[in-house]
Amino acid sequence: MDYLYSYLILAEIYVLLGLSTNLLVGVVGIFSVSQAAVFGVGAYIVGDCLLSGTLSFLPALALAAVACVLLNVLISLPSLRVSGDYFVVTSFGIQLLATATFTNWTWGTGGANGMPGVPPPDLFGASIESTRGILALTTMAMTLGCLAFWLILRAPFGRKLRAIREDELAVAAAGKGVLGAKVSAAAMAGAFAGVAGGLYATYLSFIDPSSFDLDASILLLTMVVVGGARTLWGSILGPFLLLALPQALTLLAIPTTYAATSRQLLYGGLLIAFALFRPQGLLGERL
Amino acid sequence: MSAYLEIAGVNHSFGGLQALNDCGFAIAEGGIACLVGPNGAGKTTIFNVITGFLRPDTGHVAFRGRPLDGLTPQAIVRAGIARSFQNLRLFADLTACDNVMLALPERAGETPFGALFRPFATARADRRRRGDALQLLDHVGLAARAADRVRNLSYGEQKLLTIARLLATGAELLLLDEPASGLASGALDQVMALLRRLRGEGKTLLVVEHNTRVVQQIADEVLFLHQGHLLAQGSPAQIIADPALAEIYFGGAL
Repeated sequence: MDYLYSYLILAEIYVLLGLSTNLLVGVVGIFSVSQAAVFGVGAYIVGDCLLSGTLSFLPALALAAVACVLLNVLISLPSLRVSGDYFVVTSFGIQLLATATFTNWTWGTGGANGMPGVPPPDLFGASIESTRGILALTTMAMTLGCLAFWLILRAPFGRKLRAIREDELAVAAAGKGVLGAKVSAAAMAGAFAGVAGGLYATYLSFIDPSSFDLDASILLLTMVVVGGARTLWGSILGPFLLLALPQALTLLAIPTTYAATSRQLLYGGLLIAFALFRPQGLLGERL
Repeated sequence: MSAYLEIAGVNHSFGGLQALNDCGFAIAEGGIACLVGPNGAGKTTIFNVITGFLRPDTGHVAFRGRPLDGLTPQAIVRAGIARSFQNLRLFADLTACDNVMLALPERAGETPFGALFRPFATARADRRRRGDALQLLDHVGLAARAADRVRNLSYGEQKLLTIARLLATGAELLLLDEPASGLASGALDQVMALLRRLRGEGKTLLVVEHNTRVVQQIADEVLFLHQGHLLAQGSPAQIIADPALAEIYFGGAL
């Protein structure tokens, strides 16, 4: 049972990340390959705050969200100037920079050894120790995230974001502002990633740079591609499916030494297969 | 009395190419003015200048006596001037109705804040917008295609949709870049009838057009642009009858 709970908790956290990536990459078309870096900043901020005891869980989560909003707006800003392909390169650089920082800034992140012993989340003074309690917490966070994503997509604001992805110039010609909408979307995506990071750190109680590296960013993109861009159901299905696959692999009795490699192979193969044969994903639209 | 739309002394160069050369003209309110001239005469460039997509090296644009210099494209739409594009620039993945709704003027509930925290008011406002958009689609004869994605519309329908999107902005002066190009005769007649109807509704139209037959049929006034400079302005009959202009326009073929 704990095994199932653990899967659900992680999948729900990744749904928040999937929403974040889908909003930025799928809806607005800011092709970021550094969403895992923002996720990491959220995780480390909450981890640091709880370990040092400076803040309790909710204020720490709020701090992480605000920091990730600012960070994501900042790293999305180049997309207002450089378009498409060039932004991917910029974003790639940001991800490398983040990984280097997570790995080498020993004082703040524990460096490559990671940050052990992050306390479990607490609400209003009561610590949530049980897996079931944490599942309730992540379910609530995921539900709120999904609701926000759904409300945004169905509103005129969501229509504007979709239009921006297709043709910024035509949006301007229709008398609509582009800059503010892009910044707002980046901010929202940042908040999602920050909250996901905080939940991740407190659930696992140990975080290290490998969860927030380029592979992780690409996993998030794979979730969007497999689930499908620009739909809520696609953003939910992608993470649940992709996190279930490694579990399915364990049933195949692959030696543990090959488990990590086979997972990367599987993800890479899926990404290629979907891009070629089903670009709209399972429940969405073409990226 | 100041002119409705007035362009004065506009110069603009792209590298070594002088696209606009002391370009200046004025048009009056109401009616259809056609901007003609050979390829590279600067017709689209002057559209870009008027609508704020291009900041000219020198020169001024004024609308109803109010200078537009330095305004953003958004501000110029709000001032009452909107433009279409030669290559349409529709949102192909959105429906026809969504394309029009996007261009309707902003109202409350269009911010992300409104979408998140006042969802019901936002949904109500959006239903009203949908109604407005459907009316505009009906106006251009596309009511039946409202829910279809733009990529599934015919080229003629897409051209009509660009006009509906232009109308949605609420602008009174419409700049149309080749609204009739590439159309078969049936669709062509439909577009021309629509442009005349808009004139009847009090819109002012400035239209880039290559087809002399279309110009003759819709224009109240013709402006002839050559090498970035206004060469002549007059009635369609006057301009078409001028052998010197025909020589330039048809490159000496006559």
